[in-house]
Amino acid sequence: MENMLAPAAHRAGDTVRPQAGPPVLQLRNIEKVYQTKTIETVALHQVNLTIGKGEFVSIMGPSGCGKSTLLSIMGLLDEPTSGEIELDGRPVQSYSDRELAALRNHKIGFVFQSYHLINDLSVLDNVELPLLYRPGVSGRERRERAYAALEKVGLGARTNHFPGQLSGGQRQRVAIARALAGRPELILADEPTGNLDSVMGEEIMDLLLHLNRQEGTTIVMVTHDEQQALKTQRLIRFFDGSQVS
Amino acid sequence: MIRHLFTLIWNRKRANFLLVTEIFFAFVVLFVLGSLLVDNYRKYTAPLGYTYEHVWQIDLDPNGQPISRQDATFERLIQLLKAVSGVRSVAATRSNTPFSFSDSSTDFKAGSKSTNSDIYIVGDDMQDVLSLQLAEGRWFNRHDEVAAHPPLVISQEARQALFAKGPALGKTVRGLDNQDFQVVGVLATSYRGRGEFQELEPAIFLRSAKLVGSADTTSFDQPRLLIRVQPTATAELEQRLTKEIAAVTGGWKSTVITLPEQRTIRMKFALAPMGGMVLVCGFLIFNVALGLFGVLWYNISQRRAEIGLRRAIGATGSRISGQFLGEILVVTTFGLAFGLLVAAQFPLLGVMNIRLPVYLASMALATALVYVLTAICALYPSLLAARIRPAVALREE
Ligand SMILES: Nc1ncnc2c1ncn2[C@@H]1O[C@H](COP(=O)(O)OP(=O)(O)OP(=O)(O)O)[C@@H](O)[C@H]1O
Ligand SMILES: [Mg+2]
Repeated sequence: MENMLAPAAHRAGDTVRPQAGPPVLQLRNIEKVYQTKTIETVALHQVNLTIGKGEFVSIMGPSGCGKSTLLSIMGLLDEPTSGEIELDGRPVQSYSDRELAALRNHKIGFVFQSYHLINDLSVLDNVELPLLYRPGVSGRERRERAYAALEKVGLGARTNHFPGQLSGGQRQRVAIARALAGRPELILADEPTGNLDSVMGEEIMDLLLHLNRQEGTTIVMVTHDEQQALKTQRLIRFFDGSQVS
Repeated sequence: MIRHLFTLIWNRKRANFLLVTEIFFAFVVLFVLGSLLVDNYRKYTAPLGYTYEHVWQIDLDPNGQPISRQDATFERLIQLLKAVSGVRSVAATRSNTPFSFSDSSTDFKAGSKSTNSDIYIVGDDMQDVLSLQLAEGRWFNRHDEVAAHPPLVISQEARQALFAKGPALGKTVRGLDNQDFQVVGVLATSYRGRGEFQELEPAIFLRSAKLVGSADTTSFDQPRLLIRVQPTATAELEQRLTKEIAAVTGGWKSTVITLPEQRTIRMKFALAPMGGMVLVCGFLIFNVALGLFGVLWYNISQRRAEIGLRRAIGATGSRISGQFLGEILVVTTFGLAFGLLVAAQFPLLGVMNIRLPVYLASMALATALVYVLTAICALYPSLLAARIRPAVALREE
């Protein structure tokens, strides 16, 4: 089976694309092939994509068309089978595990459908986590930045709770605060509202929109929700096995 | 990062409780065993106080000869044996010869001090037979026969117990039946007749070539001799001795065993229980290690998503394995803290009659061993954790 995906430019709302800054991330001719014993799955085929600074891009497409795979590759969590990635204008192919980890830590924030909070750590400890992997950040600074991030997502009063004591929407907000604590240039969100009901989903969407508009955070979001996608500046559609405009 | 590890472990204390308990028990077992082994090692490496190579022990059986004639026969026998070529020296002794399973002890008093001491009743040649080294004074000789007080030679431990740092030579010591003895010599070291695994206890030598004390007809002691032979002596000498003994005593039976042989027997008795314990504890520790390994492996498989997440937010692979290794070392530290608390009670309550330095040494030893053990058990699972591919781990849920 071959899954083809094709970027389709789409403008939501404004006819004029807002001032997209210099490219934060550039993908060129990305191929991703999963090889198992019996089958070969082409998850990404010839993907060319540029994410500009300050953009809010949404990605839609049917299940299994390679959206998560694309996000993993954008987030330097997985290597493409072929193709080139540039982050801030610099190719990342030759980077070591260590350098990639540092890049992820400094430049990228992840938000996942299933939150991926560590249940045995308090909300505050969870949010501090990215800073723990950043050399030279003092314990006090970690604390302060984690508090600030939690304030931003409206959870300043829940810092000592544990994830198990929070609602799904609150958990996702903690996850967003965690992504923000490292002050990344780029937030990659894989179905951030996928596990939430529409009201809570709306909350999260508003938060992301706010971050993008007020703070200028670049966001790439995978979603199944057409309404949400339309609120973003650019919508890219992936389709199973065929390319659409 | 260390604080982060402690927080993580603390928040998971319920899940980590079993691990902590397991490590606690492993430590206590290793500590108790270690104390015994270290203590025995200390004894083993302490001076024995004599040499046993080329020393033979001859057990005699008067074979029904009347007690009244035994002493004279015994005297004659000693003189004869001294003349046999290949024999260097001969000394009478009671049955508590080196490495034998017989011992006798009695109370001695000097001024306000007193001690219970092993007592060895031996002939004048015993110094040569056992190569006893003296630090002060002299060994027994035949002039002691007419001394006002029977002479004593005492070991360093006996000296310490009776005179501490004060002078010992010439001092009077009160012993058996309120009899007074006089110290004529002090050994250079301890004397440990029961072998290498005997505690360093006081030992006191009394002079007597006689088989039985003049009034002592109740003694069940079999006559016994220790002889030092030339290093070239062979089994041929042994046969010759047996024949000569039979001839000169008019039918006494004799058996010869060398002290190295006797030592081997004694050693087996001492080492067998130790070996058994080491085996049992080794098995126990092996099980603990297997359990630890299993739990760690399971833990990591349970925490794949967490590993993926940590990688995503900037942890390198080696950071991940470092974290898992660190976690188990923190858990180990908790287990050891409890263990050390319990171990500290041993010297405080005097549980095992072992000295403090030995306890401290085995605490250090057991602590190091447990750390090494857990680190080894954690190493492979931790490396596996580092190899988990974040993109794969994050899509599992
Ligand atoms: N580790 C893997 N090994 C083999 N095949 C894989 C692996 N990961 C993903 N795939 C395959 O790659 C394709 C793309 O998967 P991906 O998870 O990116 O899809 P998706 O668009 O995110 O789907 P969904 O909307 O359901 O999340 C699928 O066919 C999937 O089965
Ligand atoms: Mg997906």
